Amino acid sequence: MDPLALQHYLAVGAILFVIGLIGFVTRRNLIVMFLCTELMFQGVTINLVAFGRYLNNDLGGQAFTIFVLVIAAAEASLALGLVVLLFRQKNTLDADAWRELKG
Amino acid sequence: MAGFLAIFSQGLPRAIALAQGSAGPVENALSPVLILVLCVVAGIGTLMLLPGRREDVFRNIGAVVLLAAGLIFAAVLIHYVGSQGRGGMSIYFWLFSIISIVGAVRVITHRRPVYSALYFVLSVLATAGLFILLWAEFMAAALVIIYAGAILVTYVFVIMLATHSAAPGEKEGSEMGGLNEYDAVSREPLFACATGFTLMGVLLFVIFDRAPAGGGAVSAAVMSHPVSSPGSVQAIGEYLFNNQLVNLELAGLILTIAMVGAILIARRRVVGGVETSETPEVTLGPATPVDDNPHSIPVYGTDNPRAKAYPET
Repeated sequence: MDPLALQHYLAVGAILFVIGLIGFVTRRNLIVMFLCTELMFQGVTINLVAFGRYLNNDLGGQAFTIFVLVIAAAEASLALGLVVLLFRQKNTLDADAWRELKG
Repeated sequence: MAGFLAIFSQGLPRAIALAQGSAGPVENALSPVLILVLCVVAGIGTLMLLPGRREDVFRNIGAVVLLAAGLIFAAVLIHYVGSQGRGGMSIYFWLFSIISIVGAVRVITHRRPVYSALYFVLSVLATAGLFILLWAEFMAAALVIIYAGAILVTYVFVIMLATHSAAPGEKEGSEMGGLNEYDAVSREPLFACATGFTLMGVLLFVIFDRAPAGGGAVSAAVMSHPVSSPGSVQAIGEYLFNNQLVNLELAGLILTIAMVGAILIARRRVVGGVETSETPEVTLGPATPVDDNPHSIPVYGTDNPRAKAYPET
């Protein structure tokens, strides 16, 4: 018998998501910014698995977590390749170095 | 509003006592005011903890404030569990969630990116523990393998590739020594903390207030048996291939496209790097040996057939 309710897991997921969001806005290192997006992904996966467990008790949440992991892996590979490319251009990881980009 | 002011004037411990005192008869133990106050305190703590040009004492105070807010929130949550008649608490849940959140906070507040990545590994491992508590063993294993194993190794490699030592103007040996300026100073910390913790307060309020009393608690009959008793992996596989077949194929397609894209990006980079390298005389073709002497095996990467790999001494 699990004494915990769904809300506890949702709270942990929300806190992780918000921490990742704050980190994404405040940090200026490109790599750490992408790490913070991974933190946000992690909060979302906790939400998905907890919903799948507590609402339907089926495997839908876990299946969607797999898809989230797929997206995270694809995003990490592409983003890190781009980060290395940008670092070769300006020799810095500062996100503010690309301030002249429009849009 | 009067209660709000009273809480502010009488300090946080009084607020906790107030909230916990009124928690008994009322089924909603988490008042919005309490959540708001805790979020404000945590926001101030995070604001002081974020990297910036301040003294370390200031950051330590921020860490203490943030830790206190988190512990008070955990205590209130434990009380909330107890007040709903579902006594007892899962010590593993609290352990894993506290480790995960502390790791996440260290990720965004540590000045050195490598340590951020390592704290992210810690956070991922704790999240895998939470998944195991939710009977999602396969997802826990996948999270550890994919995140902590694959993605984080890539991150650490890129950090080591793309980080050079201290900027020339930076003085060594000081507290900021060896740090880049963009790592040491954060951008818009006040605005980000205000927005983020407002969002957190609203989310927590919605989670704990809009939920029905005792809502989300799985009934004992459902809870007594896990999602899939013996073979969680087999059950997930059957679910994926029966119910989510198109999505699964799309996921594979996305991974393939991402791989092709990553190879394209990396390839362009390598070609550019060779073209702009400062040793243009190096070519990458095999040179031919000039005779049968084993000491005249030519060196790859040079046009000169007399450049030998094993020069006679």
